[in-house]
Amino acid sequence: MADSVEEIKKAQKLYILIGAVLFTFTVVTVAVATQPWLDFGGHGFDMADMTIGLLIASVKATLVGAIFMHLNHEKKLIYYVFGLGIILALALMGLTGFHYIDPLEYGNALEGTGFFNPANPVDD
Amino acid sequence: MEIPYTFTARKDTGLFNSKIGIWLFLASEVMLFGGLFSGYVFLRVYADYPWPERALPVLPGLINTFVLIGSSVTVVFAWASLKMRQWRRFQFFMGITIACAVVFMILKGMEYNAKWHHQAVRMDDFTILEGHTHKATLDEHGHLHGIHHGDEVPGGAFPQNVVVVETEEINLTLVRAHDPYVEDILEKAMARGATPVLKDDAFFYGAPKDMRFGATAKDIEPAERAEGEEKLRKAHSSGNHTAVKFGKKSLFIPKGTPLTTKLLDQAEEVFLDARSNNGRVRTDALRREWKRVRSEFPDEKRDYKLAKEIKITPELLTGRVAEAPSALTFAFKEPVALHFKRSVIREGDGTSRLKDDTILKGKVASSPLGLSVDAVDLRWVAQRAEEQGKDPDAVIAKLWIMENPGFKEIWERHSAQLASLEEHLTEKYGLDEHGNPKRVPTENDRYRIDWQDLVAFHRAHEKHLDADSPEVEDLRPGMMEGITGPDHKNPEFQHAFFSIEVPNEKVAFESLFTPKWNHYYAIYFTITGLHGLHVVGGALVLSYFLFFSKGLYRSNPEWLANRVEIGGLFWHFVDLVWIFLFPILYLM
Repeated sequence: MADSVEEIKKAQKLYILIGAVLFTFTVVTVAVATQPWLDFGGHGFDMADMTIGLLIASVKATLVGAIFMHLNHEKKLIYYVFGLGIILALALMGLTGFHYIDPLEYGNALEGTGFFNPANPVDD
Repeated sequence: MEIPYTFTARKDTGLFNSKIGIWLFLASEVMLFGGLFSGYVFLRVYADYPWPERALPVLPGLINTFVLIGSSVTVVFAWASLKMRQWRRFQFFMGITIACAVVFMILKGMEYNAKWHHQAVRMDDFTILEGHTHKATLDEHGHLHGIHHGDEVPGGAFPQNVVVVETEEINLTLVRAHDPYVEDILEKAMARGATPVLKDDAFFYGAPKDMRFGATAKDIEPAERAEGEEKLRKAHSSGNHTAVKFGKKSLFIPKGTPLTTKLLDQAEEVFLDARSNNGRVRTDALRREWKRVRSEFPDEKRDYKLAKEIKITPELLTGRVAEAPSALTFAFKEPVALHFKRSVIREGDGTSRLKDDTILKGKVASSPLGLSVDAVDLRWVAQRAEEQGKDPDAVIAKLWIMENPGFKEIWERHSAQLASLEEHLTEKYGLDEHGNPKRVPTENDRYRIDWQDLVAFHRAHEKHLDADSPEVEDLRPGMMEGITGPDHKNPEFQHAFFSIEVPNEKVAFESLFTPKWNHYYAIYFTITGLHGLHVVGGALVLSYFLFFSKGLYRSNPEWLANRVEIGGLFWHFVDLVWIFLFPILYLM
């Protein structure tokens, strides 16, 4: 991390540059979402727009983390702590996958397990 | 004792205490918001209704994104200024950061406010109407009259989203009756010159205190009753018609006593007392039964076998339980029209029920929901039609709303515009190998008419433009013409929006745009609300550094710089969360 006065002075230019990049990316995100001439994929909102929107957001978040939060040259311990947080958050999202064993909606997934309820067969 | 490593780094980790602390906290925050994002994904992917895509006005969200990014830059400059020992410069940048937080919250407040004043209605045919409710009054005959925009609003007007009941009787459950509801009923009845009075004499035969030790209510009852009646007679002759208490725990309320909340409180007290007495009596009876059964079958130790022998007969309780009605019925001389917010009443044929279990006897009068409509969403109608294998357009043609001549014309304009959009897309992008157009209008294009569409149609109509004219698209109001949504005070928009009265029986569900309306708004308010609290919390901490840290700066500037760095890390995280919130809530 920039600690000496010279280094900090130098880093300030970078902060302004990153700020400008973040502003620009925000405008691009909105333009992709709202302007017909920048409409990717099919007409209107679809998977392509969503992917682009989330991709830009991820780049923006990485920039904030790396530069403003100084993660680009942080100590190892911080990486472990923050990394674990992110992994656990992703695991949380993965938990939604367990809806497949909801016996009311997706009875078939439990067939043979003793929990299968033939009164609620899967509907597809 | 001095705590080590408060501002100098520990050799092995290279970090000072608070830095490890804040990163541990931020890691937990990642999991907190990660869980909420995961909730959002789950609700959206498995929604069985059309998800409100791009439902929020983009401008406030966009400005807030700029504001937060800007404040992220200024907070890092504030930290850099401290590192360079420039106090004034630190004050300047920290001041801007806090001002940004204030702007963010003001915009958020405006956005929330617009949602909380915007009405949505789902009809029984799954048509969704959005708009502002009209004001209404009840005339002297108790009939509901809508007051349209621009008309004088006399005192006593209320949003026309009520159910009017020609109330004959009110049955109040003593423990559940909600005082504000009762007061509301009394106020409205009084305004119509009516007073609800107790329909029949109400006797609360309370029980003597030491019931368990031998005495029974039956033994005492006649004496108490005589005493009570005597008191009652005296009260009547002196013109005092209020409830009279007699005996230790009994109450007698004569027929004709007017309803007051105080009266209900008195009755509730005695009722609760009687109930707890009766509980004691029953427990006591049960205990004695078990004693009897155990002595009868001394060899049987298994309680579940003995349980079959336990018999609580009415005789065991006779004369010992106190009698107290759990509800009181008050009647009007003649039916009185009372109006109730649709959200607190479940109306029925002849009897309706309020949320506090108050039962209203009387027929439901005509209670249309008056709305100045600024958007019509037929996506759910279309989705259901497709699920049932029907042609959505045929189903839409038969909808109740199509009987409204104003809307019919709008729908025709919309259809013409849609056809021209389809033509335009085919012309521009061509057909695929199966001969189908490569790009087609979205469900939103097809089945949703937004307030911007209504305004554009109105402007086109004023300019005598054809509905399918490409110029209509240019007449749509821009971002600045409705920062937080449709402005119902704008006279031009008032003409563009159409008024409708939805009959009571056609209203399947209604709500303001609050978490109640659908999952989208539930998760929107949850995540943005939590994020807003983070902004407020962060701004408070940063304000502390700005206004109360001059002393620390003088004595130990490096320590203050470290503190600001920690506060800044939190602030960047708040920005980071918003970077994801903005696209998923406003743009997708």
